[in-house]
Amino acid sequence: MSKYLNRKFLGNIVIYALLISISYVYLFPLFKILSMTFMSPADIINQEVDWVPTSPSLNNLKISWAVLGGFKTVFNSIWVSLLFAVSQTVVSAFTGFAFARYNFKYKKFWFLMVLVSFITPVSVLLAPRIMMFSSIQNATGVSMFGSILPQLMMTLTGQGVNSAILILIFYNFFKIIPISLDEAAKLDGATSMKILWHIIIKMSVPAITIVMLFSFVWNWNETYMSGIFIKDSLSLLPMRLSSFDGLFDRSGSDNLINEAFKMAATFLSINPLLIIYLFAQKQFIEGIENTGITGE
Amino acid sequence: MKNKRSNLETKHNISGYGFLSLWLIGFLVFTVYPLFYSLYLSFNDVRLTVRGWETSFVGFANYTSTFLLNTTYMPAIIEFIVLEVVYVPTILIISFILALLLSKDIKFRAAFRMIYFLPVIVLSGPVMYQLISSDSTRVDDISESAIFMVIERFSQPFAEFLVLLFENMTLILWFTGIPIILFINGLRKIPKSLYEAAEIDGANGWQILWKIKIPLIKPIALVTGIYSVISLGLYEINPTYELLNAVLANTAGGMGIASTFAWIYTVVILLLIGALFLVFKEKKVVYVETLKQQQNQKELKRLQHQRNDRFRDIFSIEKNVDRIANLFKKGMKDDE
Repeated sequence: MSKYLNRKFLGNIVIYALLISISYVYLFPLFKILSMTFMSPADIINQEVDWVPTSPSLNNLKISWAVLGGFKTVFNSIWVSLLFAVSQTVVSAFTGFAFARYNFKYKKFWFLMVLVSFITPVSVLLAPRIMMFSSIQNATGVSMFGSILPQLMMTLTGQGVNSAILILIFYNFFKIIPISLDEAAKLDGATSMKILWHIIIKMSVPAITIVMLFSFVWNWNETYMSGIFIKDSLSLLPMRLSSFDGLFDRSGSDNLINEAFKMAATFLSINPLLIIYLFAQKQFIEGIENTGITGE
Repeated sequence: MKNKRSNLETKHNISGYGFLSLWLIGFLVFTVYPLFYSLYLSFNDVRLTVRGWETSFVGFANYTSTFLLNTTYMPAIIEFIVLEVVYVPTILIISFILALLLSKDIKFRAAFRMIYFLPVIVLSGPVMYQLISSDSTRVDDISESAIFMVIERFSQPFAEFLVLLFENMTLILWFTGIPIILFINGLRKIPKSLYEAAEIDGANGWQILWKIKIPLIKPIALVTGIYSVISLGLYEINPTYELLNAVLANTAGGMGIASTFAWIYTVVILLLIGALFLVFKEKKVVYVETLKQQQNQKELKRLQHQRNDRFRDIFSIEKNVDRIANLFKKGMKDDE
């Protein structure tokens, strides 16, 4: 018996060692960002300082904060991501609801199309989308480039970042709520909209939270479409970060010192996401579990 | 009665399409139309003039110039394929192993899961760019180690493969966040009775892994693989990304070539997904085998149960003898 226990004990040690060392590789870049952020120039140049800064300074943070645009950029990022997240949540909820609750014609075909829209690379849609919006701009005189309108139109119609995944989350959630509840409400004379509001939405607050969180984070991190449509009309954190090298050209100074500023900027731009994750990590993981793309 | 049913049907149709309408419009306008229009554009020369966009049909000129004249795009595509071929299997294997470890009964499971999922939240194009450019994704340089030099002497390509793998280990790991969760979820859905049955049969953990877990996880591996193929294409590590953006920026005349680039890329993605389908094709044999095992297990359990009662019901022994004889015959037939 003790032999068996010993073996199990050893096995566990191996597993923990493996998990911890892999965690280290996962977190390595974050550790590096964190340590570089608080290093003074002397620490960065000093070869002996590896991880822990000997004379921690906030100088990197201050300068990167200013270059990124400070509160204005953070505020912009928050409201733009929030706007997109809300519109994406609404449309995914409607779509997921349609698929989960109604047996309309060609339902299977459209469901397949949701998956197809996930597989289709965005790059193949870009040229026509650009041409489409530039034609709209010419026809109506409303400027489409350097504005959030095109992306708002696309998220509002369910073609935003990873919309398919969000639809699947809602689809699986709505399927769980028993239909007998709807039927009872229908007998009492409730309309479809009333059912959606009183039964479905009030019960699916957790799903809505999950989708909002994902949508917010993904829209925050999205730079491909924003780089084409929003451009620099609005300063957004990840966008500023991507042009940081250009904005921050301290020619003549040490390359390594520039790197510290870059790391500080990266730290600043992922910080809001880390805070969200700290409080909502359970929801995020549950969200992926509930997509149901693993079968059912 | 019939009328009532058709009433219900129309109700379902109206409400269903009502809720679907927003997505449907978006899908048709912003996905289906651009998809086909870009295919059309790839056979055209597109110019932005004072009167708006003008296209003129040029046949395969865009394709021939991409394949024969352009010196950067095809190498980038090949580089992208190599990247996918190295990364995707690695992502699948690592995330499966981690999922296996995390489904064990260990402490701090939630904490580990939280760490492994973290990259999904913070990963964005610019963040990845900064990490790569500052060398934060390289944990260790293996090209100096002794083992590596030995390998290099025996097989140069394999050594290069290892360098690619290790230099980007963190990068690869950062793509495993969602796959791990999918695998954990899939493993949880395998019925416990299968494991129990196999244990009664005397199977050890290793055999359970190869005979039950891996065959049954295949469909999830397929989904995960497709997800990985797509998500790898979304970031700057995709070498075709920059090239496409450069062409797109040229609004005066780049749209045709951009569409050609994008379609070549799309075909590559579809081929990769097709390859995944081939790899993870469900072999019927495996399923039949597990089913058979299941049946045998049921039979065995019943026999054991009856053995306990043998003193009470002497006839069951005869029945069992007959049944075992039948089973043997069946088994022999199957073997033939």
